[in-house]
Amino acid sequence: MSQERGAETLRRYEEINEKIKKGEAIVLTAEEFIELVEKSGLEKAAKEVDVVTTGTFGAMCSSGAFLNFGHSEPPIKMWHCWLNDVPAYRGLAAVDAYIGATAMSETKGLEYGGGHVIEDFVSGKEIQLRADAYGTDCYPRKYIETTITLDDLNQAILLNPRNAYEHYNAATNSTPETIYTYMGTLLPSYGNITYSGSGQLSPIYKDKDLETIGIGTRIFLGGGVGYIIGEGTQHSPQNQFSTLMVQGDLKQMKPQYLRGASFYKYGTTLYVGVGIPIPIINEKVAASAALRDEDIYTNLLDYGVPSRNRPTIKKVSYAELKSGKVKLGDKDVPSSSLSSYKVAREIAETLKKWIRERSFFLSRPAELLPNYREFKPLEARKAEPRVRDIMTREVVTAKPTDDIKTIATLLVKRGIDHLPIVDEGKKLIGIVTSWDLANALALEKKKLSEIMTRKVITAREDEAIDIIAQRVSRHNISGLPVVDSENRVIGIVTTDDISKKLVGRRLV
Amino acid sequence: MKLKLIYPHHGAQEPVLAEAVLKLGILINILEATVNAKKGELVVSVDAEGKKLEELIRFFQDRGITVEKITRILEIDENKCINCCACVSPCPVEAITIRPDWTIEFDDKKCIGCKICITACPVRAIKSFIL
Repeated sequence: MSQERGAETLRRYEEINEKIKKGEAIVLTAEEFIELVEKSGLEKAAKEVDVVTTGTFGAMCSSGAFLNFGHSEPPIKMWHCWLNDVPAYRGLAAVDAYIGATAMSETKGLEYGGGHVIEDFVSGKEIQLRADAYGTDCYPRKYIETTITLDDLNQAILLNPRNAYEHYNAATNSTPETIYTYMGTLLPSYGNITYSGSGQLSPIYKDKDLETIGIGTRIFLGGGVGYIIGEGTQHSPQNQFSTLMVQGDLKQMKPQYLRGASFYKYGTTLYVGVGIPIPIINEKVAASAALRDEDIYTNLLDYGVPSRNRPTIKKVSYAELKSGKVKLGDKDVPSSSLSSYKVAREIAETLKKWIRERSFFLSRPAELLPNYREFKPLEARKAEPRVRDIMTREVVTAKPTDDIKTIATLLVKRGIDHLPIVDEGKKLIGIVTSWDLANALALEKKKLSEIMTRKVITAREDEAIDIIAQRVSRHNISGLPVVDSENRVIGIVTTDDISKKLVGRRLV
Repeated sequence: MKLKLIYPHHGAQEPVLAEAVLKLGILINILEATVNAKKGELVVSVDAEGKKLEELIRFFQDRGITVEKITRILEIDENKCINCCACVSPCPVEAITIRPDWTIEFDDKKCIGCKICITACPVRAIKSFIL
């Protein structure tokens, strides 16, 4: 028998709130609820417990705050606006702005951003406000520079378009280089694994069918009270990737639950604390609230592949991730989180305390969130140049046994800087540059095999130019042989090709 | 014990470390080296304590090398740290571990000063005392 989503068969919101008022409500954190279910069974636990509290504290890039500065004398219609040199969005009324977590300082770059501005506001610090304008009859002022604090603002509303991902992919790196990503530092050759999300404390996972979470749900947000105002962007509930759009009064919030952060070589973000009370309105909700780390799985993806379709290395449970070691083949790979389980726990405890102290009541959502959403990619419809569009197809190659002097003469004559070395089957086995040759001649070496670089950085003909440009700069090289799936040389692409054949994004 | 060795100008031409290993029989592991026109600095881990350590230090000093004992390599600022654990899995020697209450524990003895944790920390809570 299937019951309607959100059916209040075990208890109604009014009954729960009545019990909270009387101080009789049974409130447990998700961890405590799991323990109780293990001890007395799901059915009994569901009958006993009114509310299960949850928590998460992780980097949530789609976060920011709407601010109203009030009017200066004479007034200004701000055109551009900066807070501690971080640009705020100004496509709104005269003195309204939105400071986004990932906006970065024009003077400090990746080290300081909108997330830090929000943390500094909440910590009570003075923030430097700077704005320019073109001046109008009603708003004559053209420039303002002053300092403000959170108290000075009329409104400061945290409004995050995507928070509290139900769960998230774990990350590792297959490449021979350390990479720096929004999933943190990933060591070469599957050297470590990072993950995010609190697993068995994860707010949405504790009501994975979205039976109680909806528009108007009152929540813990950044240390204050907030509300769910809708589904978050990229909400994909059928894949357990639900997200939330939330808002709350920044003036109530606390810096330990809103922390500006910067991921090395990636950029800035905001750590946000979110906790949702899950009312145990029916047994389905209870079953979801009882899920343990062992029951919650995610995909471990290879972030070494710079594509939206990153290959899945393994399906892994949060229990395995949290154990600190994940088995990959015969190797135990160290794993650690990016979100804080310690703070997640604190949030679930705080929310429990608020309810027990009768200062927090539950709200029945005005509407539940959609439980199906297509997750569409962005197609680049305008043709974009690929390696095949700019590579040189007539490649001069040489054999390892070739004589250095002969080859040097050939390179000079043809004006070539990169010489792929191939075997009889045309397969790439090395590369020699004009620089290597100059050195070799000076040192009186004879054969190419003595001087060639055997570990060659290559390109594929269908790869995007942006990927190649990144590879060239990472390895500090100026040319890459283009190889087919059999490692046969089919072309060569150089930094000259990238800079000369491309102007802006167009092929010339 | 970890030592910082500051070489005098032109001092890098003598194989002082090799001499120390051979003469004193103390194993030396180089953790970090900065050699350029301005300075020569090494951070080494030495397998010596007490009298033997003092002997080694005197050996270096006799050759014009300034020796600093490194008692601390890193410091994690507990007021800044959010215990996210982003520094834990990048550490190559398991010097940063997680306690049962999900807070971070740092073992200075295991640390080799590679500093990968410093950039891995999203709230810049880790500070280095060497080089």
